[in-house]
Amino acid sequence: MQVLRLRALRGPNLWSRQTAIEAVVSCDTPEPLPGGMPGFLDRLYARFPQIDLLPAASCPEAEMLAHTLERAVLGLEIQVGCPVAFSKIAPTLEADVYQVVVEYSEEAVGRLAFDLAQDLCSAAIEDTPFNLAEALQHLRELYEDIRLGPSTGSVVRAAVARGIPFHRLTDGSMVQFGWGSRQRRIQAAETCLTSLVAESVAQDKQLTRFLLDAAGVPVTPGRPVTSAEDAWVATCEIGSPVVVKPQDGNQGRGVRVNLVSREQVEAAYTVAVEVTGKVMVERYIPGHDYRMLVIGNKLVAAARREPPQVAGDGIHTVGELVEQINSDPRRGEGHANALTKIHFDEIALAHLATQGLTSESVPPAGTRVVLRNNANLSTGGTATDVTDEVHPEFAARMGEAAQMIGLDICGVDVVCESVSRPLEGQGAIIEINAAPGLRMHLQPSLGKGRAVGEAIIANMFKKGDDARIPVVAVTGTNGKTTTARLIANILDCQGLRVGMTSTDGVYIEGQRIDTGDCSGPKSARKVLLHPDVDAAVLETARGGLLREGLAFDRCDVAVVTNIGVGDHLGLSYINTVEDLTAVKRIIVQNVKPGTGVAVLNAADPFVAGMAAHCPGKVTFFARDPDDPVITKHRAQRKRVVYVDGDAIIAAEGNFEYRLPFAGIPVTQNGAIAFQIENAMAAVAAGWALGLDWQIIRGGLANFVSDMQTAPGRFNFFTHRGATLIADYGHNVDAIRALVNAIDKIPAKRRSVVISGAGDRRDEDIRRQTEILGDAFDEVVLYQDQCQRGRANGEVLSLLRQGLEKAKRTRQIKEIYGEFGAIDAAFDDLKEGELCLILIDQVDEALGYITKRVVAG
Amino acid sequence: MLAYADTKPDYIAVNRDIKFIEIRHLNGPNIWSVRPVLEAIVDIGELEDFPSDTIPGFYECLSSWLPSLIEHRCSYGERGGFLRRLKEGTWTGHILEHVTLELQNLAGMPGGFGRARETSLRGVYKVAVSAWHEDVARNALAAARELLLAAMDYSPGDEPYDVRGAVAHLRGMVDSLWLGPSTACIVEAAASRNIPAIRLLAKGNLVQLGYGIRSQRIWTAETDRTPAIAESISRDKDLTKALLQSCGVAIPEGRVVHSADDAWEAAQEIGLPVVIKPCDGNHGRGVFIELSKREEIESAYRIALEEGSGVLIEGYVPGTEHRLLVVGGRLVAASRGDSVSVTGDGISTINELIQQQINSDPRRGESEDHPLNPVHVDGVTIMELLRQGFTTDSIPLVGQEVIIQRNGNHAFDVTDEVHPSTAAAASLAARIVGLDIAGIDLVATDISRPLAEQGGAIVEVNAGPGLLMHIKPAIGSPRPVGEAIVEHLFPSHEDSRIPIVGITGSYGTTNLAHLIAQLLALSGKQTGLACSDGFYLDRRQVKKGDQANWKTARNILMNRSIEAAVFENGSDSMLREGLAYDGCHVGIVTNVELTRHYGKYLETPKQVFDLLRTQVDVVVPAGAAVLNAREPMLVEMAALCNGEIIYFSLDSDLPVIKEHCLHGTAGINGVQGKRAVTVRDGEIFLVDGSSELPLSKLNDVPVTCDGKAVLEVENILAAVAAAWSLGIDPAVIRAGIGSFHAFSKV
Repeated sequence: MQVLRLRALRGPNLWSRQTAIEAVVSCDTPEPLPGGMPGFLDRLYARFPQIDLLPAASCPEAEMLAHTLERAVLGLEIQVGCPVAFSKIAPTLEADVYQVVVEYSEEAVGRLAFDLAQDLCSAAIEDTPFNLAEALQHLRELYEDIRLGPSTGSVVRAAVARGIPFHRLTDGSMVQFGWGSRQRRIQAAETCLTSLVAESVAQDKQLTRFLLDAAGVPVTPGRPVTSAEDAWVATCEIGSPVVVKPQDGNQGRGVRVNLVSREQVEAAYTVAVEVTGKVMVERYIPGHDYRMLVIGNKLVAAARREPPQVAGDGIHTVGELVEQINSDPRRGEGHANALTKIHFDEIALAHLATQGLTSESVPPAGTRVVLRNNANLSTGGTATDVTDEVHPEFAARMGEAAQMIGLDICGVDVVCESVSRPLEGQGAIIEINAAPGLRMHLQPSLGKGRAVGEAIIANMFKKGDDARIPVVAVTGTNGKTTTARLIANILDCQGLRVGMTSTDGVYIEGQRIDTGDCSGPKSARKVLLHPDVDAAVLETARGGLLREGLAFDRCDVAVVTNIGVGDHLGLSYINTVEDLTAVKRIIVQNVKPGTGVAVLNAADPFVAGMAAHCPGKVTFFARDPDDPVITKHRAQRKRVVYVDGDAIIAAEGNFEYRLPFAGIPVTQNGAIAFQIENAMAAVAAGWALGLDWQIIRGGLANFVSDMQTAPGRFNFFTHRGATLIADYGHNVDAIRALVNAIDKIPAKRRSVVISGAGDRRDEDIRRQTEILGDAFDEVVLYQDQCQRGRANGEVLSLLRQGLEKAKRTRQIKEIYGEFGAIDAAFDDLKEGELCLILIDQVDEALGYITKRVVAG
Repeated sequence: MLAYADTKPDYIAVNRDIKFIEIRHLNGPNIWSVRPVLEAIVDIGELEDFPSDTIPGFYECLSSWLPSLIEHRCSYGERGGFLRRLKEGTWTGHILEHVTLELQNLAGMPGGFGRARETSLRGVYKVAVSAWHEDVARNALAAARELLLAAMDYSPGDEPYDVRGAVAHLRGMVDSLWLGPSTACIVEAAASRNIPAIRLLAKGNLVQLGYGIRSQRIWTAETDRTPAIAESISRDKDLTKALLQSCGVAIPEGRVVHSADDAWEAAQEIGLPVVIKPCDGNHGRGVFIELSKREEIESAYRIALEEGSGVLIEGYVPGTEHRLLVVGGRLVAASRGDSVSVTGDGISTINELIQQQINSDPRRGESEDHPLNPVHVDGVTIMELLRQGFTTDSIPLVGQEVIIQRNGNHAFDVTDEVHPSTAAAASLAARIVGLDIAGIDLVATDISRPLAEQGGAIVEVNAGPGLLMHIKPAIGSPRPVGEAIVEHLFPSHEDSRIPIVGITGSYGTTNLAHLIAQLLALSGKQTGLACSDGFYLDRRQVKKGDQANWKTARNILMNRSIEAAVFENGSDSMLREGLAYDGCHVGIVTNVELTRHYGKYLETPKQVFDLLRTQVDVVVPAGAAVLNAREPMLVEMAALCNGEIIYFSLDSDLPVIKEHCLHGTAGINGVQGKRAVTVRDGEIFLVDGSSELPLSKLNDVPVTCDGKAVLEVENILAAVAAAWSLGIDPAVIRAGIGSFHAFSKV
């Protein structure tokens, strides 16, 4: 068993909407399996009894191995608690080679599970040991380490339930919600609304006390003290009993309560000062500890917190009683479980000592032994939800306290007798915590959990706000960059700041921030994460779709320009036009259900067929108004876009809107058919986004496609009275469209300069010159620097073969190098002639052509 | 005075002492001034007989010890005015005032105000001086007394009073107690826009700008709008860079490294030379620039490791470090680091070149008057030289350039030179991290050219940036940083104030306060009320007892839920504490009964007038003073008001009312108001010039007992006037006064 390739599909992909590990695995076993398949399966079950194999119909051994691997990965993930369900295998054209796809919830966990599953399979094949417990432990630790913590997780789940997209910014708890200019961030229980100043205020206990008192909220009198003597002075000012505690202490270390005498106070000072050096004396208020969670100045949850304690039974020692409690399976370590084990450490022992007890003491039946005087869940305390019991006046003070401090989310620590009465006269606020833990409210030890994540999301996002920006995905074999640019231009006319990805870069508000082929998910993510983007137009090429899946969970509009006879076939296990259609269909399958729109080319049967896979609406476009797909769709009173005479028509039921070619310069008054199609797709996309027709019209009217704005896209030059056109077209459909467009331009003589990209199939390279041979008088063939895996001369020879049956071509030249080929074309060019240069190194070639044109 | 010369006691024999009978801090508008003052009741005893000109050597002593007294204009309204008075003869109380003020000025406190007034007791004066900070002012007053007594006792040859020491002590207090320069510049900018400020910490730079629900807090260069998460991001350099890069902002390539070997590996990936720095360090600590050799890189790694939680290695960006300050998405200031080098002459050592080429610059020097520090050769310099293969004693070749110091203090203001695309990149960087106020560290050779063409890059984004370099650049003009921050927090069209109604008078003011609070609450505003029977938040009594005081009013102004406030101001509180607010929309003076005010502090009608007028002085230009037209003293106060005057009167035919409604009454800003609230035929009218709107019959206002209870009727009229001036709908006012029953017994 050998893994030939492994990918993490980080968004909706060819297989499903879920994130998944996709591996190409050769399952060929050089020798027969010992004991055959039954023997293998016995060994497998012995090593991983929980594996859930589908009933094995008679299938080849290799397929069974692939299936075993697939189910082993999924089974391991499920065993450690990952919420995953999807997996599948698919054969490839190569014998015994399968694609194995398994859903993951955390990429690293999925990858590790895949490695472990491979080990498991090998162990089962070779009958070697496999330590399942160790493997699961390893996997579980990784999962616990990188999954979102309970607090952050609750907020993220609430966001997802509201349809808000999220993106983890770090391996920790920092998460970004939403896209572009609508984005907001959280970090556990802090949000982008949590003010740094407010956090600093909350950290200053004296200042907090002062502000709360000013706001008429009960606080405990108290102050910091500088010496044991000062502690007693403070006690006299405040009135006993008092609490003496370290000012910035945590987990109750060094806290002494209910002190009355001078000796007690001074002794407590000595203990506390050793913890932080800064000591506070406060009035002691008898009662329970409560934690109040306030979000958006409203009380959302309340919990009564109790310190870890054991109940004596007259038989067991304190140590034994603690052990009994800790054996509760709900108690774990860290923050992942509902309860945490009681920490029976030196703090607990010291606390026992203050009660005259040791771990060996046997407390009488019915007595309660408190193990530390702090109720943090992380040291074994418990939390009981009391939200429904809180008196409205009590709740009002909590909201006022949060507002006074200025925190959007805070945990208010209160000591009082009861929450079912107003706070005044029976308790006080002890402190206010920024970024409070949410676990005790989500999963209290007793009582019901509260919808805390939902409250946080509701405070960050108004009802109905899903923090998304309009997203248009564009794919197809040809025309996608121009279509994307047209749509971007229309959105720009709407006054939106547009982010766009395309095969020549990432653009934000027209500024190119990244260069090269940027039609993949990494570039799309850049646009979606950019704070200045109000709308995204994402050219989505096959490479990225296959490599990683989509960068977004859904789009508003999916535009598929065409499939034609395909491009790049034979790469990445995409061999047929049908395979390619399935890849490009992914964007259609992921339009927003119900309201999203797929804009599909009706004239291309592969594209038109995608309509059945669209969970939203469909708008068809085709030049021919009588196209059967168009007429049928129109008859159903659905949206269509087609050409009528000298205009593009957008029609739906009785509604028709006319956009004359005269107002769409890129079509050259309707002369360039492929630009008409691009414009139609853009019109349909603008319409789908609900834009005003004036805006759509304006966006088409002021769209400029020249060398600066659209390098390599039908760029016109004039040289000594001849017309030069440079284009990046490099596949059969593009060349057909170019020939079609050029046929309408009168010329005495036509010549073309072409090289072939080596990563196309042989027949696709040949087909290009077959088309050109029927349309051009002269063909200049050149071999470019980048042969993309082909032997020297191989591509040239394929191109030559395509010209063998040429109907028009009389002259063929072969040149090495792009510039040389351009020189050759320039040298022969005379007035009234036309030359098409199919450029490869776009920027360099255009630069060279410009230089030649300028030179005259 | 001379006429008494022979009869007065001998100066040498006199008991020269200055006693403070009482010292009070009036922390708000008061009888003396609209600014906080320290008021001292001073008994100068027998010195009453000795004005300054009669004390031998006194003038000379004082004017030489405190030469800056020449700036005090005093009586003559011109420079040197006070010294002239001192020479011609003035009394100790007056001198004490000026010396106290001058000591505060020398200690660095903002400019001031002072007054000295006689009382009815011989030799007892009231001295009031500006007191922005109570402790500083008290100490300055005490020091001024010492200084004066020392000057009076001084004879040539004595040890002079240690003015320098006294000022240094006060300056130390100012440094630890008063606002830091960055915060002070924001507060000053706020003040110039008439935005009030409240310090929330006795020490430190936490300040509230604005009142109640309109307030915003600042803590140096952090604001309520600075998200804690953004600050966390800015501290994580790796995350910051990843976010910036994703948005196309130029940053140096780099990564976190985990060992010295890894550092060398990373350096080769990135390309030499490189920079090594701690992941979360700041202020250039542990930062090593332009390293190329493996040994340098490995040893730098080890040192950087000790500074922070991890080590970052980055490609070296050529150029000088710049600091760009972005506030609210806008580039506000930019400064360039002081990067210096020397050029060899083939003769001099580097040490000598530093003296010849750098430290000879007249702008460099140790004193505060020198904008630039001289270059001292320290460890960093030696390392920098070592890296270039030199020691301080090396003699560079002719024309050879040697870097001495890379990024000294950010001294040069270059705001006007920043290329627009660079300003946009800095602003974007702040936005990406999420900071409203950010200091962007950027390395570029020439800040006036786009970054891309020179390989410049943003190297760091800082939260809570220092402002001092922009406020006081060594070279170049100061930038309006405070103004920008205030504009960011309070865009010009936004009000920083909530409606405040201040009430004073001789009697009946508590009921009036309750009534107005009810009207405001009815109009839908969360209202705070401080009056003599309690502290109320939105009708809930928070505290009982007399709360008509400075502290409770301040508490209400600090409360972030409060949309409107009503304050009753008893004359006692105004005398002892001053007002808690510096401006109000409505200032009401209900009535005057002089005898109720007379006592230890107030003895004359003029003094009562001066006290009560405080309430009128603080009315903002868009606000109104509501005055009882039957009181001539209040009618006289009308001229002091910045805003409109609205009279109320039981008698609609009162000449004052007639005249006001016909011609209007102009306050000091020339606001011509013609509004009045009066009663005619048992009905309340809102009068505005010639138009009259009947509001309510007195019969429908139960508390007036059908109009028979005169004080209650006047209170109703005053409340109606206040509500009217605040734009409350007459229907709401009518409903409010009709349903008001809860007058307490006062």
